[in-house]
Amino acid sequence: MDCSDVRRSLRDLLRHRLEPPLADEARAHLEGCAACGRARDAEETLDGLLAERLPRHAAPAALKRRLARLADPAPAWGPPERGRWTRFVAPALAAGLAVASGALLLERHAGRESAALERLTDEAVNDHLRVLASQHPLEIESGGSHQVKPWFEGRLDFAPVVPLPEWSELQLRGGAVGYFLDRRAAVMAYSLRRHAVTLLAFRSEGLRWPAGGSPAAAAQVQASSARGIHVALWRAGALGYALVSDVAPDELARLAAAFAAATAP
Amino acid sequence: MLRLNPLAIVPQPDSRARERGLAALAHADALYNLARYLTRNPADAEDLVQETFVRAVRAWDRLAADSDLRAWLFRILRNTHLDGVRRQRRSPVEVGEAGGEEPDAWLRGDFELERMRRLVAEEIEEALLGLAEEHRTVIILDLEGLTEAQVALVVGCPVGTVKSRLSRARAALRAKLADYRR
Repeated sequence: MDCSDVRRSLRDLLRHRLEPPLADEARAHLEGCAACGRARDAEETLDGLLAERLPRHAAPAALKRRLARLADPAPAWGPPERGRWTRFVAPALAAGLAVASGALLLERHAGRESAALERLTDEAVNDHLRVLASQHPLEIESGGSHQVKPWFEGRLDFAPVVPLPEWSELQLRGGAVGYFLDRRAAVMAYSLRRHAVTLLAFRSEGLRWPAGGSPAAAAQVQASSARGIHVALWRAGALGYALVSDVAPDELARLAAAFAAATAP
Repeated sequence: MLRLNPLAIVPQPDSRARERGLAALAHADALYNLARYLTRNPADAEDLVQETFVRAVRAWDRLAADSDLRAWLFRILRNTHLDGVRRQRRSPVEVGEAGGEEPDAWLRGDFELERMRRLVAEEIEEALLGLAEEHRTVIILDLEGLTEAQVALVVGCPVGTVKSRLSRARAALRAKLADYRR
């Protein structure tokens, strides 16, 4: 094999697609040829950059749900979308029944609050797990919020706050654009010792939010858990925030209080 | 791009179609990733993947049992994208080979490689998005682990063309990456 043969075979060699005798010949040539060795290094460097750093965009959950309906439209596909029936029919029914039973109405209200919290919690936990499972979770890797915050400009139609309390051991790893339910979200990834912490920021308009709509309630941090992962939810102006981690609930609560103060309009 | 109503166009399911539909879902992330790099836009990428599924569901009957489902889906996605680009431009899409540096033009020594190793995700993404469509496509498909024969099925050209196109695409990408961190 000469240099030209080896250069033509480099991709196949690195992908382990070259027949063994040819692969041996190519390796022997590479050991003695500095120019071809540099070519191999360059190929490996580019492979490494693409595999490890090029953002890999996962399909948003809402898109996957639509695709699932397309791919398998049979009725057995899954439960009907939660809340659709109750959103339209149940309020009228509940209002009628409330005449006879105020207690029932209160119970339904509590149920809706609970369902809203559960829905937001589930989505926040799913997004957090998606960040953990993704091979390339971060689109911008960072040494500080001064790098991450400007990166979101032009990628979202809002400017998320990227908090980093100085007193904590929290480290900002980077950010990405993702989806929270049906809307785009800023995803900020932190690490706290060995724990992953994810902050999601998204427009809260149109989302059913637990604890009513008063300004005082909006600023209030709501704590919840799902599948062993804890979530703190709050609103600040037009944005909703979800802080998610498997750190102890009281530690997450302390962080959430600091984050909520930092994100207050 | 037009948003489709998925429920209005679905044919009656049968068990084989259902099986294929579920197998296709496993490729949703890979399809969306290619769509992002083709459209450069999350909303258009979603529409593109959805339309790909619509076309795939309509064409299940024409897919042989031993076909490469993943390559077939990528092919539908790319063709759908090119159709959309043609409609927008109202003129034929350029199908010739995109230009690129000669394969050896990037060999500028160890210093160059060291500088490339310091590149961050955003720079690599930006450089890739700056390449011609056919170059972006072969790089992403190669990264997905498709063989050159599978890529040839997707883009509809001989394996030899894929090999040279991939080589030129990588050379062009290296040249763009070399411009960063200068």
